[in-house]
Amino acid sequence: MGEKINHILCAVRGSPQSRATVTRAIDLALEHGARLTFAYIVDAEFQAQTIIGRPLSVIYRELVQMAEFMMLILVDRARRRGVREVDYIIREGNVRRQLLRLAAESGADMLVMGWPLKGPGRPTFRPQDFESFVAELKQVADLQLVTVPPD
Amino acid sequence: MSKQVRLWGLLALLLAGSLLLTLLTGPDSRADEPLPALLTGSVYDRQGTPVRDAEVRLYDGSGGEPLAETTTQPDGRYALVLPETFGDNLTVHIERAHFAATDIPLDAETVTALRAGQSVVLPDTTLLRRITAAFWIATAIFAAVLILIATGQLHNTLAALLGASALFAVSYLGPLLAPELFIFDFEGALRYIDWNVIFLIMGMMIVIAVVERTGIFQWLAFMAYRLSRGKLWLMLPILMVVTGVASAFLDNVTTMLLMTPMTVQIALAMGVNPLALLIPEVLASNVVGISTLVGTPTNILIGSYANLSFNDFLLNLTPGVVLALLGLIVYSELVYRKSFRAAGGGGLSPVLLQALAERGRITQPDHLKKAGVVGAGMIVLFVLGEHIHLLPAVTAIMGATALLVWIRPNIEEMIEAVDWTTLVFFMTLFICVGAIQEVGLISFIADLIGNLVGENLLLAMLVVTWSSALLSTVIANIPFTAAMLPVIGYLTLTIPGAESKVLFYCLSVGSAMGGNGSLIGASANMVTAGIAERAGHPITYGYFFKKGFPALLITVSLAMLWLLLHFLVL
Repeated sequence: MGEKINHILCAVRGSPQSRATVTRAIDLALEHGARLTFAYIVDAEFQAQTIIGRPLSVIYRELVQMAEFMMLILVDRARRRGVREVDYIIREGNVRRQLLRLAAESGADMLVMGWPLKGPGRPTFRPQDFESFVAELKQVADLQLVTVPPD
Repeated sequence: MSKQVRLWGLLALLLAGSLLLTLLTGPDSRADEPLPALLTGSVYDRQGTPVRDAEVRLYDGSGGEPLAETTTQPDGRYALVLPETFGDNLTVHIERAHFAATDIPLDAETVTALRAGQSVVLPDTTLLRRITAAFWIATAIFAAVLILIATGQLHNTLAALLGASALFAVSYLGPLLAPELFIFDFEGALRYIDWNVIFLIMGMMIVIAVVERTGIFQWLAFMAYRLSRGKLWLMLPILMVVTGVASAFLDNVTTMLLMTPMTVQIALAMGVNPLALLIPEVLASNVVGISTLVGTPTNILIGSYANLSFNDFLLNLTPGVVLALLGLIVYSELVYRKSFRAAGGGGLSPVLLQALAERGRITQPDHLKKAGVVGAGMIVLFVLGEHIHLLPAVTAIMGATALLVWIRPNIEEMIEAVDWTTLVFFMTLFICVGAIQEVGLISFIADLIGNLVGENLLLAMLVVTWSSALLSTVIANIPFTAAMLPVIGYLTLTIPGAESKVLFYCLSVGSAMGGNGSLIGASANMVTAGIAERAGHPITYGYFFKKGFPALLITVSLAMLWLLLHFLVL
């Protein structure tokens, strides 16, 4: 626990419920003087449930643009609170797999993410999936995991 | 001298040749022989639809080898060529899969006329349906496809492909066990594919691929923000009108795919719940999309089947659509007034405003201009096309090609823009719907509705509109519309006054605006919900139903009011 935290990764979707997660990540970044990276995973699994008539590349392009803006809002918020080094990263694909890859590749010391969503909508992780995700995370990356319940 | 000899020789040669030719191609001695007698007729089903590929045989006496045989043409007609001699007891035997065979004994007068060499036209024959094992199997397969699509267990295209494959498996392998299992063969199945729809969609996909890269949709959304000066109550109707008009010309699913991300960004920047803008937008896209032939997939299906042109939709539906949109705007303002008041309403931070402006600009102005010119040309052709029998699919293909030649984009990227998954979905869906037409399920439903409404056009309009609207909340509207088309076709033929094709407009209103009743009711809803969820603002079934179902009631009522006034009163 006395480990120095230099780089914090914060995985969010930008929902109102993730406000607490973002606040916590910013607090931790300020506390440790760490670099903060917001991470967003773009997935277009919904396209399998309906007929869209546009190629997957178009759907991803639009989602990535939207994600970039959402990340800009978070970066702006972090900067206003005093975080000096803040950026974002966007990946495409399956949320779980990309998050694990990001955790392994980013060199972050800490991953901050929201507790499996309770409330409207489909949670990114079901509780049982979240447990296995945490176990797998420990295998691929040496970082602390901080989970934040929604507001 | 030799020249003269040569000339005379040539003349002699020509004369001999002429004589020879005359002898060889002289009057045909067969011309004196009488032409064989023809026995002709037409075969229909109970709904008055011509029955093609029915086997027609002429028998003399009881059984044995037929004297003549043929199959009915696509228009249901047949012509039997009689032999030189035949007996007095002639019977025409007509049979076809999924119909009860029928025998038509010829009376003495007819036989006498035929023997005298006269051709005879028999009265039209109506074949009655026969329920076989194939009926139940085809129905079950179709129902399974609908359920798979509704529950999202499989990708829509895979569900339809599975259905088509199962139908073929039954048709080709089933008869090895029992002939009653035959549904249709491959050629028969292909006849149900409406290639006009396939090519129209394909052409529009290419046009859309060029237009969407120009950034026009994002620019329109940003302009809505600027024009309204950030006032949400004003921005809402602007966004709804912009989305609606775009949906009418460039299909509502693509419109929502492109408008939703930008709307989310604007909403987040302004501190308002994105759903307060997205829900009214998608409702508007489903409503206004039916103004034109190309605005919704359901209209493309209806237009092709019923031979309704671009003008037909424009003239007969647009006033009703405008009325429905006005009602929808009022409804949306009332429903979301609290969200608008709760929103910050303050200015955006310079960083975010700059980011929005950057995203909301036209990125390819040159391409946009060219797309505009070609698009205008396409609209002209859509409008004038019906006068020169120019199919909309041809216009779409020509427009797409003109754009590709003029702009010269990366051709591989453009071909990628054609979503073959969607095209395969439509092709296999047509086959699945064709199967239930083939086995008689559609006829059964048509009879049921026909008995319910009788010859009452008003009742038929109400039944078609509201049943389409309500069923579209639980059944995806594309397969629903495809299945309903033959039913509506039958009602159009049998109900006095329906020849105006009003019932097809009722189907258009019901199936498209009915899509507002539930999340799964329309593809545009699912796309919007998918993107909204990825922005952290999921749209649940319950939420959409609470907002969308009242909108369905309002918009369908107003559109219905227009149809009643236009077709029954005015």
